[in-house]
Amino acid sequence: MLKIWSMKQQQQQATKAEGGTKKKKVTAAQLRAQKDLSELALSSTMRTEFADPDDILNFILWIEPDEGMYKHGKFGFTFNINENFPHDPPKVKCRHKIYHPNIDLEGNVCLNILREDWKPILNLSSVIFGLQFLFLEPNASDPLNKEAAEDLRTNREAFKRNVKNSMVGGYVKSEKFDNVIP
Amino acid sequence: MAPPIATTPPVLQGPSAKEKKYDRQLRLWGANGQQALESSHILLLNSGAGVVGVETLKNLVLPGTGTFTIVDEAVVCEEDLGVNFFLEQSSLGKSRGEECCRLLLELNPEVKGFHIQKTIADFVKRSDLSQYTLIILVAPVGSLDVASEVSQIAWDLRQPLIYVHSVGFYSHTSVQLPPSFPIVDTHPDPPSTQDLRLLQPWSELLAYAKTQTADLEAFSDHDHGHVPWILLLLHYLEKWKESHNGEFSVRDDKKAFREFVGSHARTDNAEGGEENYDEALTAANRALTLPTIPSDLKSLLLEEECQIPRNSSANFWLIVNAISTFIKKHSLLPLPGTVPDMKSQSKDYIALQSLYRQKSQQDISEVTSNVRALEHALNRHIPIPDAEISAFCKNAAFVKLIHGRKLIINPLKHGWNDNSITTIIEHTTTMNFVSGKPSLFPILIALYGFDSAIAAAASVRPESNNLLAAASASPGFFTLMETYIRDVFGKLDSTSEDLDEALQHTLNIAREIQRSGPGELHNISSLTGGMIAQEVIKIITKQYVPVDNCLVFDGIESASAVYRL
Amino acid sequence: METDSMNSTTIPERMNIDRTRWSYLDCVLKKGGPFTDPEAVFGDGVISRIESAKILVIGAGGLGCEILKNLALSGFKDIHVIDMDTIDVSNLNRQFLFRESDVGKSKAECAAAFVERRVKGVKITPYNCKIQDKDESFYSQFSLVVSGLDSIEARRWINAMLVDMVDAEDPESLKPIIDGGTEGFKGQARVILPTISACYECQLDMHVPRQAVPLCTLATIPRQPQHCIEWAHIIAWEEHRKGTVLDTDDPEHVTWLYQKALTRAEEFNIIGVTYSLTQGVVKNIIPAIASTNAIIAASCSNEALKIMTGCNPFMDNYMQYSGDSGIYTYTFNFAKKDDCPVCGNLARDMQVNPKLTLEDFIASLSERAESQLKKPSIRKAGKSLYMQFPASLEEQTRPNLMKKMSELVEDGEEIAVADAALSIPFRYIIRYS
Repeated sequence: MLKIWSMKQQQQQATKAEGGTKKKKVTAAQLRAQKDLSELALSSTMRTEFADPDDILNFILWIEPDEGMYKHGKFGFTFNINENFPHDPPKVKCRHKIYHPNIDLEGNVCLNILREDWKPILNLSSVIFGLQFLFLEPNASDPLNKEAAEDLRTNREAFKRNVKNSMVGGYVKSEKFDNVIP
Repeated sequence: MAPPIATTPPVLQGPSAKEKKYDRQLRLWGANGQQALESSHILLLNSGAGVVGVETLKNLVLPGTGTFTIVDEAVVCEEDLGVNFFLEQSSLGKSRGEECCRLLLELNPEVKGFHIQKTIADFVKRSDLSQYTLIILVAPVGSLDVASEVSQIAWDLRQPLIYVHSVGFYSHTSVQLPPSFPIVDTHPDPPSTQDLRLLQPWSELLAYAKTQTADLEAFSDHDHGHVPWILLLLHYLEKWKESHNGEFSVRDDKKAFREFVGSHARTDNAEGGEENYDEALTAANRALTLPTIPSDLKSLLLEEECQIPRNSSANFWLIVNAISTFIKKHSLLPLPGTVPDMKSQSKDYIALQSLYRQKSQQDISEVTSNVRALEHALNRHIPIPDAEISAFCKNAAFVKLIHGRKLIINPLKHGWNDNSITTIIEHTTTMNFVSGKPSLFPILIALYGFDSAIAAAASVRPESNNLLAAASASPGFFTLMETYIRDVFGKLDSTSEDLDEALQHTLNIAREIQRSGPGELHNISSLTGGMIAQEVIKIITKQYVPVDNCLVFDGIESASAVYRL
Repeated sequence: METDSMNSTTIPERMNIDRTRWSYLDCVLKKGGPFTDPEAVFGDGVISRIESAKILVIGAGGLGCEILKNLALSGFKDIHVIDMDTIDVSNLNRQFLFRESDVGKSKAECAAAFVERRVKGVKITPYNCKIQDKDESFYSQFSLVVSGLDSIEARRWINAMLVDMVDAEDPESLKPIIDGGTEGFKGQARVILPTISACYECQLDMHVPRQAVPLCTLATIPRQPQHCIEWAHIIAWEEHRKGTVLDTDDPEHVTWLYQKALTRAEEFNIIGVTYSLTQGVVKNIIPAIASTNAIIAASCSNEALKIMTGCNPFMDNYMQYSGDSGIYTYTFNFAKKDDCPVCGNLARDMQVNPKLTLEDFIASLSERAESQLKKPSIRKAGKSLYMQFPASLEEQTRPNLMKKMSELVEDGEEIAVADAALSIPFRYIIRYS
């Protein structure tokens, strides 16, 4: 044990903390979330909402697309970051029942970097821009909502109409959707 | 909707109590492996402090090894209680084998255990060792002749034997397998097992690929992006051949071919590319190789037991012979039939998968009929189970045969088996090229020295094991080890400086052995007991690959090495 | 059971009483050998050090049971063990301190009682709780920590805790961590000297995350039995049993998932969905056997003995073990990472005037030569002091700017400063002059 301490002293740096602190420390996950958030440059179409500003691991992201088929809607996503971040990806769910090929009726989102392609070097920014992209370019080829994808693939105009109907809280086929017009 | 609880039917194929208890190991060796373990009987010939053997048994009783027998002449003394966990205060003065057996049996009510209080020499002389599945012999046996005798008996009975030293911070484990020890279920890494035959597709596969990809260019984006990469590669291989005189050269064309495939991926879609094409490009390198017969299997085919099957041959050899016939006819192995997961529509994937499975079944049937013909010719009446043949066919590329060798109990007397002096010098002097640390082989030489010194001391006072400890603590003990070690290095007969350095290092190891009592340290014995138990499990289940054949562990550096002696 | 009644409350053995029992161990404690550090001292001093050292074992599972046994038989007398789990029937194939009648009991308590009963004179103190329930004052009492955990999250937590506890002025504050892990026939053991050698966080890349399948594959184009099970697990459960928290230990829940997965597999002509596979996928079961645990636990305990006594050099610093094909070990020095977010980024002291407003404090940060910060955002544990981004958070934390530092941060509290100019946030311990 003494040997270890002499190893320690050899590499001692002058600027280290003096006495220990008995206070709570910022965890690695929080440090990383703080860094990611402090570098977040959101465009005017997006806004965050923190129920508790002291809890930066849980928040809502609002997206209001200013172009594309989902223009005029306002979509909320719940972000839940666990203490194993960034080893684990943030958990993201859509807060509304919407008609979208890549978001199912339970709010699950199919975005590769939220699951199979997540890597710790990715950050919250990458996820947020991935979500934004889903509204500009809904992807019909690998859907979560099969019916929506089918519509988009086979009849783009009908799909657009369905999106419009669904966003005001209307029905598409027998399914009623949430009103997302602010 | 009805309440969810009510709609849940009772557990139909839920696990049994036994499956629950053994769940974490059944996921490794399955019901077959478990069955083999449960019907085995392990014999432990214990000596010295005897911890390493008992720790081994702990790791075998827990997973449900059927039966064990401990042969141990010792009576529990105070020193035992500081190093052996399977003894307690009340064990003092009682038979050590009996007490260990009793406390080991508490670990698993399904296991049977026996104990015999005899010297190893006595036991071996009067017992039929053929009833045991595997024998563990713990050094120092005291008399090297007894150790040699056990080795000879096991060798003659074709019974696996494990010989072990645990002394201070060092341990050694030698595995004496029968001369021919085949393993079918070697559990290779899944990616290494792909055999998709893209360069030698059978006619049905080729025809299927052609129909599925005939109009590839006209496919909708969605369909185009979901063609399984196996079909993509088959399709573009045909296209490639059309423009290259019907040729595709594995050696020269791979790079250009990959570019050719990549150039057909559509990029004007939402994702800006196609996952199935990406997968095709990644897979191309591995998938576009000509199937070969692995060298391990090739050497199996040359074995006499394969070429001249007998009525009494093991099932294994009859199947190898049948596979050999298959290879002669097709120049290929039976198709394993597994298809990796890939981007595609469910039904397309399942269709492709069944195509591979059908072909695999066809090949298995052919091998099976070869086996049946052989059985008929050899006048064998009990047919080899279909499942055994099928498992062999699917694993054919990874089947392994270990040629067991007899233990080296004393290299000064019996030499180093087939190893040349040059090999031994190499073992002794070659540094670990990663760590730059000295070879671990000197530990083995020092342990032989230790055996020889113990044997010399024991021949003077042959009464009991505790006297060994007394003898080994005497000042002359190191000199005995040193003499032996110098004799070994003398036989190596080399003047190289490296060897002299190795000699000094070996003498230091002997000093470390002397310093440790020489006795067992619990941690090293427990660690070694873990390694031996892994070997026992691999040998008994005939799964995974056992050590071939001599393992040395250094608890100072926390490093190990395997030598084939 | 016969022996415990008389020993359960005996006072620990004192020095220079009969050590016959420890004859084997004492051989390496009473004198050095050819490979020991020439400066190391042996004899009674070492023996009393090992007898008085407090050792913490984290986890009383497959590795923990073995480690407790090994430490008790390595001469340690004051061992503590922490584990929040209770004993399950599937533990019995390797966690050898437990019996069928123990199912449902606390692992830590059961294991501690067993080893105390078996090994005379050892005291084992159990804690039936999460490691996160304990604070620095708890962890600071130990000389060394041996961990046999199965979760990355718990490992990261204890690692960060012990790295942060290192105080340059106090040798006692540095607690080596010896960590083990296993999977099937494979495993690894490592020695971590917090702030000196690579820490767990430095080595995080060694853990390849579990290969996940795209959600859309599960939803629309399943091809493997696992896809059907994951679909039942992630999508079907929420659709049909919303509100019921899925408990993967509840056979009714697993059966439900299994049935759903099976129906789906039949629909797509996929074969291979079984109850066992369902359990394996939803619980992320890692195969575990007694022998591998024995190897890794003994390696960890061997390092603990060497570190505490100097009886031989300890491992530098990582051993990989594989028993699938033969036996193969690879022992190497895992290099410490300068930019490790935990040990490459230790908190520094910062003298601050308590009357300074947060705004002034932030301005002063930008003037510090070492940082050259542009737009620093500041937090402490559980509180956002001032976040420059995103806008909503800036708005919510803006009122703090006018507050005095002493109102926001106590003396000795740690703050974290993030800025685009920093690859990882700096941490400071605020000291009021």
